[in-house]
Amino acid sequence: MSAASPEPLLEIEGISVRFGGLIAIADLTFDVGEGEIVSLIGPNGAGKTTAFNAITGYLQPTSGEVRYRNRRLTGMKPNQVAGIGVVRTFQKTSLFAGNTVFENVLIGLHKAGKQTLAGILLRLPGMREEERRLRAQAQEVLEFIGLAHRAEELASALPYGEQRLLEIAVGLAARPEMLLLDEPASGMNPAETVAFMKMVQQIRGRGITILLVEHDMRMVMGISDRVVVLNQGVVIAEGPPAAIQRDPEVIRAYLGSGAARA
Amino acid sequence: MSRFAPWAVALFFASVPLWIGDQYFLHILISTGIFIIAAMSLNLLLGYTGQLSLGHVAFFGIGAYTSALVSLGFDVNLLGWTVTLAPKPVWVGLLCGIVLAGLAGWFIGKVSFKVRGAYFVIVTISFAEVVRLVALNWIDLTEGPMALNNIPPLTLWLPWLGETTFWRKTPNYYLILVVGLVAFEVIRRLVQSRLGRSLIALRENEPLAMSVGIDVTRALVVATVISAAIAGAAGGLYAHYIRIVDPDVFLFIYTVTMVIMVVVGGKGTLWGPVVGGLLFGILPDFLRDMAAPEVQWVIYGAVMIVIVFFLPQGIVPAVNAWLRGRGASSRDAAATPGEDRA
Repeated sequence: MSAASPEPLLEIEGISVRFGGLIAIADLTFDVGEGEIVSLIGPNGAGKTTAFNAITGYLQPTSGEVRYRNRRLTGMKPNQVAGIGVVRTFQKTSLFAGNTVFENVLIGLHKAGKQTLAGILLRLPGMREEERRLRAQAQEVLEFIGLAHRAEELASALPYGEQRLLEIAVGLAARPEMLLLDEPASGMNPAETVAFMKMVQQIRGRGITILLVEHDMRMVMGISDRVVVLNQGVVIAEGPPAAIQRDPEVIRAYLGSGAARA
Repeated sequence: MSRFAPWAVALFFASVPLWIGDQYFLHILISTGIFIIAAMSLNLLLGYTGQLSLGHVAFFGIGAYTSALVSLGFDVNLLGWTVTLAPKPVWVGLLCGIVLAGLAGWFIGKVSFKVRGAYFVIVTISFAEVVRLVALNWIDLTEGPMALNNIPPLTLWLPWLGETTFWRKTPNYYLILVVGLVAFEVIRRLVQSRLGRSLIALRENEPLAMSVGIDVTRALVVATVISAAIAGAAGGLYAHYIRIVDPDVFLFIYTVTMVIMVVVGGKGTLWGPVVGGLLFGILPDFLRDMAAPEVQWVIYGAVMIVIVFFLPQGIVPAVNAWLRGRGASSRDAAATPGEDRA
């Protein structure tokens, strides 16, 4: 769609989601190129989280389809979507609260392992070797995200900002090629947000494509290659951050028509 | 607890017949052991996946009936055909009981692949009730309320002992102890593996578990099969120890007893069902010497309420927290395996 995007990795083609009479998203079309950071923004209720749910299999769109590397995601279960490399995080803090930080990441590493029942019950060497490898990988992820010093603490005992980081760590552990972040910076203080922006860049530096839903405009405008603006379930603008900031349609959607002159 | 704790506990219990001559008390320990094995299997579901199986006794009963019938032999008229089975050795019966209970677990896991929480409870209760009615009414096969009698005890070839038949209390005691240790170790290895982490992930946060690629349905089915198979093993051992099986093995109260053992001991802990099982297996017997029957049950109930009220996580997590000091108290508060947490 956009000339700026390299070959499209994720293509969302005309998806609509209805809840009874309510149209949550209508004919949503956009794509994300490999290696891009694309932000999906819009006022509350614009359908951003619904779009995430429809992309990752948590709900099935009423019509339209989602493709990833030319494979249909629509109709797949969430774990299958994750299985081919598209991993999402959640808007509300979502962790394995009763487990330690380390265990959270270890659970996230599910896809990196392949233990058989026989291997588990007989404690075969391959299984023990894999456990050692997974533990080392969990440690690596925690060091990358900066939570290694918290490894043995309970997830629920972390301060809010660190809980949000841990969610990213769990998502990263699932070895995504593409990461969908749903308001990752909400609840972070300004300093944490700035540090987090750097981290998102680093994640992209690892070759992971990012689709971001975020309300913090400084973050959106600071890190996005492209911004897609949703309002009431419809795309009203799309383009690089600088253009979006000047777009009268966007300003109207966010501030009301009276403020469009400002 | 340390990794040597199971061995210490096993050694202690292995020594019990040496210094307890009372056959009746040994009988109590054997029955308690059988219940503990069943409770451990329930714990795999209730404690680790967070799904409450209130029909767990169905797997126990299927194991008991299958093992008894295979070792007794039967002939039954099935849709015009006569199916005849000559008596088989008891160990074959036990294996059949384990397999059939596991299959029943697979069926329940598949049927309830989308139901969680209250609906899983209803599916499992209904299943147990259906199986009980079959046992009660299929008189050709099960003798119905007349019960299966004269079930042979287990005969095994053992090193040093040769061919051994488990007639007496002491050998049966050791049999249950060994099977109990094996079940404990199987469950320990499972929950400390990638599969175990999937189960815990399902319990703690199912949407998040799916988001990292965990096939929660498959994990739940595998857990149900293993849990049911272990319960079936307990049922088979029960049949060949008591040597009579009637449809009362499917009574709801037995499931409730298992749930109480797991919850009081500490669900989602390896030792919980063992501690809870020992407490509620032996307590009634201690009370028998001390109080009139009606008072016994009042005390039994009071103990249960006091424990659940003051140690909502169960005894084992409370002891663990106490051992680890004050810092651990927050962990218990957060470790509640909520059923419908989403």
